[in-house]
Amino acid sequence: MADPNTKQMPQKSANIAAGAVVCVESEIRGDVTIGPRTVVHPKARIIAEAGPIIIGEGNLIEEQALIINSYPENILPDTEGVEPKTMTIGINNVFEVGCVSQALKIGDNNVIESKADLGKNVILTSGCIVGACCQVNTCEVIPENTVIYGSNCMRRVQTERPQPQTLQLDFLMKILPNYHHMKKTVKGTSTPVRN
Amino acid sequence: MASLLQPDRVLYLVHGEKKIRSPLSTLYFCRYCSELRSLECVSHEVDSHYCPSCLENMPSAEAKLKKNRKRICNQLNENFRCANCFDCPCCMHTLSTRATNIPAPLPDDPSKTAMKKAYYLACGFCRWTSRDVGMADKSVASGGWQEPDNPHTQRINKLIEYYQQLAQREKLERDRKKLARRRPYMPLAFSQHTIHVVEKYGLGTRLQRQRPGAPITSLAGLSLKEGEDQKEINIEPAQALDEVEPLPEDCYTRPINLPEVTSLRQRLLQPDFQPAGASQLHPKHKHLLIKRSLRCRKCEHNLSKPEFNPTSIKFKIQLVAVSYIPEVRIMSIPNLRFQKECQVLLTLTNPVENITHVTLVGCEEGDPEDINSTAKVMVPTKELVLAGKDAAAEYDELAEPQDFQDDPDVVAFRKSNKIGFFIKVVPQREEDGDVTVSFKIRHDFRNLAAPIRPSEEGDAPAEAIWLTHHVELSLGPIIA
Repeated sequence: MADPNTKQMPQKSANIAAGAVVCVESEIRGDVTIGPRTVVHPKARIIAEAGPIIIGEGNLIEEQALIINSYPENILPDTEGVEPKTMTIGINNVFEVGCVSQALKIGDNNVIESKADLGKNVILTSGCIVGACCQVNTCEVIPENTVIYGSNCMRRVQTERPQPQTLQLDFLMKILPNYHHMKKTVKGTSTPVRN
Repeated sequence: MASLLQPDRVLYLVHGEKKIRSPLSTLYFCRYCSELRSLECVSHEVDSHYCPSCLENMPSAEAKLKKNRKRICNQLNENFRCANCFDCPCCMHTLSTRATNIPAPLPDDPSKTAMKKAYYLACGFCRWTSRDVGMADKSVASGGWQEPDNPHTQRINKLIEYYQQLAQREKLERDRKKLARRRPYMPLAFSQHTIHVVEKYGLGTRLQRQRPGAPITSLAGLSLKEGEDQKEINIEPAQALDEVEPLPEDCYTRPINLPEVTSLRQRLLQPDFQPAGASQLHPKHKHLLIKRSLRCRKCEHNLSKPEFNPTSIKFKIQLVAVSYIPEVRIMSIPNLRFQKECQVLLTLTNPVENITHVTLVGCEEGDPEDINSTAKVMVPTKELVLAGKDAAAEYDELAEPQDFQDDPDVVAFRKSNKIGFFIKVVPQREEDGDVTVSFKIRHDFRNLAAPIRPSEEGDAPAEAIWLTHHVELSLGPIIA
């Protein structure tokens, strides 16, 4: 599992667990922890400005996705006394191409489709699907297994959660290192690190 | 300035039953009548039906007769629906079939399990699956999905048969009366409840159009077979019940589960059941789309006839106006000032291959067609000559052999089959709307459709006739 970096001073480098595949062309800024079996494509951006980001395992973050823990609009970056809020992302989530996520708490098995936009105040539970180009910036907790789709962001509840993308993850973990350089991972205890 | 090229800036007037002004790109040209036609003055006919997702073709006659052996009510339902494709009941997108591997016991040996493929329907847009409504996975990829049966099918069938027979009988009586009395004109006040049965092969559009006052409701081409006996069908009248089912007791107190409530659109797309709950939304077969052909009402020639094959977007006959009539487009507009003369640059494009002579004429005072113009316009008085459209011209390195003496005050530039020319506009009204000018274009048209007279073989293939069109341009607001 990834080393939690709570004891140390705010780390400025990413803390990538063994088994995660993070391409060098991706931009990871700030205090970011990435769990094992997570794949981060090139040109993905994970930016921890206003606090750390903790990403679980088995996530798939595709190209041009932007996961950003940003300051709220009315607070300047230099203000003192602002507590850094941690953004947590669970396991088996999929962030498709071009999506933007600022939600502070994302559960498991969610799919955020291409060009979707999640605001700061949304909390995704498990099994939610935010459709392509849907903007969700309400201040609410999205119930489990909700599908948000359509230009009017219609909603419906589905009976089963989306399946984890194990096949795709395995494939990418084999193929991506053939074509891209990977970022260095933190040495794990048992399994050898694959760079 | 792409906004100047917007199609609705330049409108051509169509003389039909109604005077319609619309851009040239939406108009058709009947070269037998030598007139412009718009979509409202042509008759639309259905050529064939096709499914938009599997592109399977079904010509009209076959669609009517398909499944003739099944009951008539099903005929109405499955009549114009594809057999293979389904629509998502939730978002109306096309459903796709997905497969999963499930372990299933082998038929020979129940103790061993093998992976078998199970198929279910899923929507790629709203992620609806057939498992959401409880439909079991099927073992065949297509053809296993059934629509639920309507409990009122039998009653509806009987009613339809009865009314068909009634309509047939009334039609016979009417025809008999017509022959007997030989009235010169048909009484137009038909009863509202008479159902007209459309003849089997005549599409009814042309015949019924000549009686503009009659209400027309047709049973979409159904008709009794010729050999069937005229057996009497009796129906029981519908019975009115005194007691109505009471509302459930917790009707007012039960909290609404909003995701379970269907929207009106979802409900009304299934008129047989109109389910109120999302767990009863079953997928329906996909509706077929039509290919339509257009026909001039005066001369009955086809103006537009698409290809039969649904994968082909070409046309067998395509008499669109832009390939026969010179097109006026706005190229640049200076700042328009109230009561000050401004010069507007327009272009004129020649779509045909021979040289076209165009004369522009301003509208006279009191012209009944000139209702929208808000400015005075001075058009060039001389005749403009347009070169023919030569598709190979850009590859031809020879200098242009044609030398038109262009008056530089009138013609700004000339480029293959296009010229740019100036008109002078004096806005007359100082108001917020657009400045609109109108004038008439008179050009010569060589009708290649007319048959060549055998006596004049060596002559030019066709005579030129002069056509006049009324054109309106919308030039934008006045800038003070």
